[in-house]
Amino acid sequence: MVELDYDIVIVGGGGAGLYAALWAAENTILKVAVMTKVYPTRSHTGAAEGGINAVLTHSVGDSPEAHAYDTVKGSDFLADQDAVDIMCKMGAAVIYDIAHRGVPFSRRPDGRIAQRPFGGASFPRTCYAADKTGFYILQTLYEQCLKNNVTFLNEWFLLSIIHNGERVEGITAWDIRNGGVHLIKTKAVILATGGHARVYWNRTSNALGNTGDGTAAALRAGLPLKDMEFIQFHPTGLAKTGILVTEGARGEGGYLRNKDGERFMKRYAPEKMELAPRDIVARAIQTEIDEGRGCGPNGDYICLDLTHLGEEKINERLPQTREHAILYEGVDPVKEPIPIAPTAHYSMGGIDADKLGRTPIKGLYAAGECACISVHGANRLGGNSLLDVLVYGRLTALEAVKYADEAPETNPSVAKAKDDEKRILELMEADGKEKVADLRKELGNVMMKHFGVFREEKSMREGLEKVMEIKERAKHVKVYDTSKKFNTDLITALEFLNLVDLAPAIAVPAIERKESRGAHARKDYPKRDDKNFLKHSVVKLKEDGTYELSWKPVTITKFPPEERKY
Amino acid sequence: METAVLQVFRYDPEKDQAPYYKEYEVPVEGTLLNALLYIKDNLDPTLAFRAFCRSEVCGSCSMKVNGKTKLACKTPMKELVETWKGKPLRIEPLNHMKVIKDLVVDIDKPIEKMKTLIPWLVPDPRVVPTDPMHESIIYPEEMEAYKDQIHCMLCFSCYSACEAVADNERYRGPFAFSKAYRFQVDRRDIETAKEKRIRYAISGGLWSCVQCQKCLYVCPKGVKPAEDIQNLRGQAVKKGFTDKPGAKKLKHFVDWIYATGQINRLYLPEEVYGNKEAREKLTKAYTEMGVEVWEVPKPTKGLMKFRDIYLEILSKEDKALDLDYSHVRKIDKMVSDIFKADICTIVDKAHEEGRSSRGLISKLKGLLGGQ
Ligand SMILES: Cc1cc2nc3c(=O)[nH]c(=O)nc-3n(C[C@H](O)[C@H](O)[C@H](O)COP(=O)(O)OP(=O)(O)OC[C@H]3O[C@@H](n4cnc5c(N)ncnc54)[C@H](O)[C@@H]3O)c2cc1C
Ligand code: SF4
Ligand code: SF4
Ligand code: FES
Repeated sequence: MVELDYDIVIVGGGGAGLYAALWAAENTILKVAVMTKVYPTRSHTGAAEGGINAVLTHSVGDSPEAHAYDTVKGSDFLADQDAVDIMCKMGAAVIYDIAHRGVPFSRRPDGRIAQRPFGGASFPRTCYAADKTGFYILQTLYEQCLKNNVTFLNEWFLLSIIHNGERVEGITAWDIRNGGVHLIKTKAVILATGGHARVYWNRTSNALGNTGDGTAAALRAGLPLKDMEFIQFHPTGLAKTGILVTEGARGEGGYLRNKDGERFMKRYAPEKMELAPRDIVARAIQTEIDEGRGCGPNGDYICLDLTHLGEEKINERLPQTREHAILYEGVDPVKEPIPIAPTAHYSMGGIDADKLGRTPIKGLYAAGECACISVHGANRLGGNSLLDVLVYGRLTALEAVKYADEAPETNPSVAKAKDDEKRILELMEADGKEKVADLRKELGNVMMKHFGVFREEKSMREGLEKVMEIKERAKHVKVYDTSKKFNTDLITALEFLNLVDLAPAIAVPAIERKESRGAHARKDYPKRDDKNFLKHSVVKLKEDGTYELSWKPVTITKFPPEERKY
Repeated sequence: METAVLQVFRYDPEKDQAPYYKEYEVPVEGTLLNALLYIKDNLDPTLAFRAFCRSEVCGSCSMKVNGKTKLACKTPMKELVETWKGKPLRIEPLNHMKVIKDLVVDIDKPIEKMKTLIPWLVPDPRVVPTDPMHESIIYPEEMEAYKDQIHCMLCFSCYSACEAVADNERYRGPFAFSKAYRFQVDRRDIETAKEKRIRYAISGGLWSCVQCQKCLYVCPKGVKPAEDIQNLRGQAVKKGFTDKPGAKKLKHFVDWIYATGQINRLYLPEEVYGNKEAREKLTKAYTEMGVEVWEVPKPTKGLMKFRDIYLEILSKEDKALDLDYSHVRKIDKMVSDIFKADICTIVDKAHEEGRSSRGLISKLKGLLGGQ
């Protein structure tokens, strides 16, 4: 068994991972490595189109407090306000930092970074780089990592986290390219493995590999996951594939219309209209569809109308939206409205971490979408995730450097690696009664049906039963490809098994949270209930395979809960 | 349901003696990536390929279809079937990179090559504030200069299609030059880095590109490496990196055409490759064959007007194909020695009296040291 030895391993090469790597590389001479299952520039951060929120020095009238307030209000008061405060105050600093490193932010005529309005924000504070903000950020961070000679373990797959109950000691990983389980010794680990919206396999805006691998590994290592019931459904996914139409399309003035051509948002959010926060728009769309006002022969989608913006503006501001609509939906938004429906988009919940990204295990940090700090609470505002990704990438890097500088050498046992090897062998020798592709699809359907935009006790209980049944059946999936090199059959299976581990962690708190808050909309409990549920859910996986739920208080500093109206 | 047959390249270096093709029947629906996922989910889970975003932003899924480089998630199956009129579609991995398995190739090498060209911003502290809370001002117009290059998503389609990569192992690859060029035209990037990039670009094969334009055609993101390479060459010449045959050839063309309206086939070998005997040998050979040759082409009628236009184009384009005036003056001298008159006199004689663009001409005369 090959052993690798580092001081800090960053798992994930998306926005959070690369920014962490950069800040670590520039602030320490410790041995730092970035491990990622896809080449860094292919991470899902590259798909973020709309932009990144921050109050800049030239944002007139706006302030970090206003940003914090909007964030907390958007979160339906479930966000931890101390963390939100940190994030919003660091906004300008991270934006200027990445701009100085080369991110080609769109500019105003006077040469300053341009900002546009985005859902749930009281001022135009979303910085953007055409409609490829995440792409440019990711490319730039990668360039800067190359500049700093960061060590990359590209196409390596995290399997398990090793700790002694107090400190992290190492991880195990599969080298995709050459095959083989490796034991990696390290003093600190930053998990930056991204989200898990692929639980909703058939209707999601996420990349094929956003399967919550780091979150699942943390769960299996006994770490708590927080607020997992909160999954954001983006209101505008292309009807056929779930591929995203950026919120920028509404930011630039797009209209949502039902089959009668009515701009129905006036009934749901009269003031903000199409620019109301995502959860509200998603529910409005789902309600229109459910109540028979959807468009198309099956009435199962809504129209996003950009035609009045004109070809020039669409080409200039929303080129990618146009391209995708033509390619994946067969509709040219210059001429026709785009068919859209809600799509699973973002995981608010994740690995329980504090306002500096620390988990209960020393030396283990979480940043980006896999983490639940929580700065997004029950609902994330558009443009706040990239900010979270950068702020916490940087903060965890600095924390990890500080920790690893002083931490003692670790001595991870090989037991875990041997276990993982066995687990993989067993997958190859399984009976194959079940197929990954089928079960994965089934899981996706169950989750969408029972834990989708709207939820309800009875249906959720049924749903959980089905999920547990799928989990049971998943023991029979087989990996047919027995080769070592680039075994994508194995990776697909491991990813699916992670999804299966995470699904109950979403379902259990969803059933127990008997209120509606943010993205968690219950038909049987349509109101927010601060008396009983102004608290974080915490799920742990017990040795016997059951999921244990507990609750944890929310940190409230400046903004007392109030009704969330737009 | 309409179906099509994919003949997919299969090769597992651990097991297979040689690559082979396996046929799969897939629905004609959605993109080529959908078809490959269909195979993996329903027909054969052992097939290996890369894909991630499925929406043409991550650059994972480029491959060849009947020899043409395609991004699988950007290629509708319908289009393929129509283009190839129902013929089988042969799906193969990209060229010029080692196959790891099936459609997966080793992309580390092109990345390493790219790294040698400093494909990152080296901020000039006079332009980019070192104070992290200070914004650096960039006007939207400035960003036009690199608006295409920043779209490169490292899909390596161009690398696979490139003639120069095929010929020369060391050749850095089209995308790598585009990545480098993006910083060459960024005001924030420091001059010393720009200088280095040019030097490294030259040793990385800048002059080996044969301008076949394939990179430009295959790029799914509208990057135009072939053009960027031309511009880099221009910068190289402007920065005085004129010792490579490619640069010398360019200089020869520009200067001779400017000076006389024609290139000079007798001087080319000497000026580009330093071959001093070539002129004599060529003159002799041409004369023996009865072909008329001139040591210096006779300046054409309207040359001065032609020079005006030429100069105007060069300055407007700022392609940096700077004229080497001392070279031009030497040519002028040859012309006047041979034709026994100052170049301006010769040309002026051929002109009608009282031409309108006198202002520019006299400026030119000043430049050239004429009367
Ligand atoms: C279509 C779309 C548009 C969006 N638009 C916006 C927007 O406009 N503004 C905004 O603020 N947010 C947006 N978001 C959300 C935002 O993009 C993501 O939340 C954010 O990019 C997550 O970044 P990350 O670094 O946490 O994870 P990712 O970028 O997803 O990176 C995860 C990394 O972890 C690695 N990894 C995962 N599992 C493993 C494993 N097992 N082993 C090794 N490595 C692993 C991956 O290779 C990858 O490098 C959007 C999201 C989507 C889906
Ligand atoms: S134009 Fe040059 S870089 Fe482009 S493919 Fe041809 S040889 Fe390669
Ligand atoms: S230049 Fe175009 S074809 Fe070449 S790697 Fe970049 S995106 Fe791909
Ligand atoms: S899957 Fe990302 S570009 Fe095709």
